[in-house]
Amino acid sequence: MVEFLQFTLSGIVFGMIYAAIALSLVLIWRGTRLLNFAQGGMAMFTTYVAIEVIYKTHSYWAGFVVALLAGLVLGAACELTVIRPTVGKPQLNAVIVTIGLLIFLEGLAGILFGGQFRSFPAAFSIIGLRVGGTPIGVSRFDVFVVVAVLVTTLVLAVAFRYTAAGLRMRAAAFNATIARLSGIRVARVLTVGWALAGLLGALAGVLVSPSTFLYPNSMDAIFVYGFTAAVIGGLDSPVGAVVGGLILGVVLSYAGGYVGGSVGSDLTSLVALGILVAVLMLRPEGLFGGARMRRV
Amino acid sequence: MSGEATAASAAGAANGTSASLMVEGLVAGYGGVTALDGVTVTADAAGITAVLGANGAGKTTLLRAVSGMIRPRSGRILLADHNVTGRSPEQIVRAGIAHVPEGQGVIPELTVEENLRIGMMSWRGKRAARAAAVEEEYARFKPLADRRRKLASTLSGGERQMLVIARALLARPRVLLLDEPSLGLAPRVMAQVMDLVVRLSREHGLTIVLVEQNARAALAIADHGVVLNLGRVVASADAATLAADVALRHHYLGF
Repeated sequence: MVEFLQFTLSGIVFGMIYAAIALSLVLIWRGTRLLNFAQGGMAMFTTYVAIEVIYKTHSYWAGFVVALLAGLVLGAACELTVIRPTVGKPQLNAVIVTIGLLIFLEGLAGILFGGQFRSFPAAFSIIGLRVGGTPIGVSRFDVFVVVAVLVTTLVLAVAFRYTAAGLRMRAAAFNATIARLSGIRVARVLTVGWALAGLLGALAGVLVSPSTFLYPNSMDAIFVYGFTAAVIGGLDSPVGAVVGGLILGVVLSYAGGYVGGSVGSDLTSLVALGILVAVLMLRPEGLFGGARMRRV
Repeated sequence: MSGEATAASAAGAANGTSASLMVEGLVAGYGGVTALDGVTVTADAAGITAVLGANGAGKTTLLRAVSGMIRPRSGRILLADHNVTGRSPEQIVRAGIAHVPEGQGVIPELTVEENLRIGMMSWRGKRAARAAAVEEEYARFKPLADRRRKLASTLSGGERQMLVIARALLARPRVLLLDEPSLGLAPRVMAQVMDLVVRLSREHGLTIVLVEQNARAALAIADHGVVLNLGRVVASADAATLAADVALRHHYLGF
């Protein structure tokens, strides 16, 4: 029972990180019907920026804030420089550009920061909390992970729902033609979408790196998990991304925890792949996806 | 050329004065296909100009070229004698031309009110002015007022058409491009929409370009008619003259 609780709680913590990546993918998918394969690479890069700032300033929070800002800037810069020229061309062009962007960012990180594994600090203690002497499988930092992702998600959700900028983004995502005819500068909206996706990715990178080490490929696996979470939720749905992240996090935690040992940790990626294939075969629109008819 | 400067009423949709729309020698198309081949159309200020013709005649392409959705290969588009050729849709709306696309172009995933607010995205106005403008449209279209918090997907065909026209009016246009506003509507609802079009022109001085399959209904309310065939203008005359031309009607308009 205690084990079950521990696995569930730690699954939720990782699930929140997958949810952040999934949300960033959903943001871009809704705007452009494009899967951004560079999302993990962007998150890795901003996490390197954070670690450099932390070394220079000896302040975790300076690094944290700079990483988020770098995510915003990097997201917008990627959209403006390499994605914008693919607009109006075949969809595959943009997909391949994002793969190229991933390779470029990973190569650049290797050149600038070196290829060795680096440990990334956590904001709070990573020693497991205990309730009445029983370890519950999560630390203070894990609590921070959950809170940080939840707060960011809620702020975004409220902004999307209640602000003019949010309405512009939703309108552009649902129907770009009507949005443009109504005077919404859709190109600008897409840039903002990429910037916000960059911010979410940066958040995920900073939150996950204390438990994975940081190296140029360190976000590849996280990207796959985030993508799986987004597919579970249905690539269209922000709520689905969060729920998908949590489901995946918990399931992988059980798989890794109950099987145990090196088999367990190898098993997690296999289980994730299994879930991905199962969802795509049985319910390709995802749990919350928009298989609904769209009348325009 | 837009001689008559009709003052807009307080509830009106025009921003200041009426404006004419002139399309001169417009050539446009998609890829290798030329859909418009030297089309010249003049829509008088505060008048209703019907653009008629069979499927594939180029009617929708004409509207898409005017609103900036496609870039003309040659020719000019003049709004109140200002050249607006080649501008993006976002700029065209700000210049004063609103395009209501074919097929009841609401965004079904958004609420009625959100659909309306989209119409004001080109504004710099204050919150109170926006709220007042939305209330004006609710006063004009009562059925929308009752459903403002409902998703647009719950509206009937006629209500959707009201919603898209209301949204276009919120952009404060001087020229309104309507693409098949009667498509798929019951006859009684269609009559209401046509009646609304007349009022927008007569009472609010809006210049209206009305693309219609239903030539009879369009000519009944239009001042002027233009008939397109395979991308060229084959007739341009008073609506009454066109409606009386039996040979033309049989040949191009099917009634």
